[in-house]
Amino acid sequence: MDDWKNSRSIRLSQAGVLLFALLLAALDVGCFWILRWYINLRGMHWQSGFGMMAVIYLASVFGWVFLWKMWRLLGNLRAGIVFEEENVALLGAVRSCCACAAAVFLLGCVFYLPFLFVAAALGFMALIVQIVRSIFRKAAQMQAELDLTI
Amino acid sequence: MEIRVNLDVMMARRKISGGELAERIGITPANLSVLKTGRAKAIRFSTLMALCHELDCQPGDLLEFVDGD
Repeated sequence: MDDWKNSRSIRLSQAGVLLFALLLAALDVGCFWILRWYINLRGMHWQSGFGMMAVIYLASVFGWVFLWKMWRLLGNLRAGIVFEEENVALLGAVRSCCACAAAVFLLGCVFYLPFLFVAAALGFMALIVQIVRSIFRKAAQMQAELDLTI
Repeated sequence: MEIRVNLDVMMARRKISGGELAERIGITPANLSVLKTGRAKAIRFSTLMALCHELDCQPGDLLEFVDGD
């Protein structure tokens, strides 16, 4: 019963990753039109629009890496590979993606101030992932010790 | 400074193979090999008890403290 619940939870997370991948793809494709509509609506300068577009596309690169690493991590969990160094490395990459995207959005505040909230949210997410990574690292060490307990 | 496992010495004295001993005490030959080669991080009391029972010896015959600093 627990295995089934865990498996369902992982599948649900994988579906979430796919959903976010679709949303990110839609954002990448429609970024220009969405921003054109938004800039016209707010009466902003086109200069800001191009800056915002650059920020979104740059952050999108980290978004794709983030989603790919998450997909691999969930695949490992589904295969029963949990407290391993590979997952610690994957979580490290996820954290770095969050931190880099946060930095990009922080710089993007020059073009659009509300990006500051996105940067803060991403920075907080990087912190949470870092904590989870530390837990996984400790657990991986304990697992390695347990494997050598005869 | 280490704990040396003298399992191979005791096995040779009792003339028992690794496979047979592993089967008797209920662990895999791979795990017995980990124990023999000193790669084990810890040993359970239940494993030690089974080893002592099968090899008819004391824990001290299997484990030795080596102060080598």
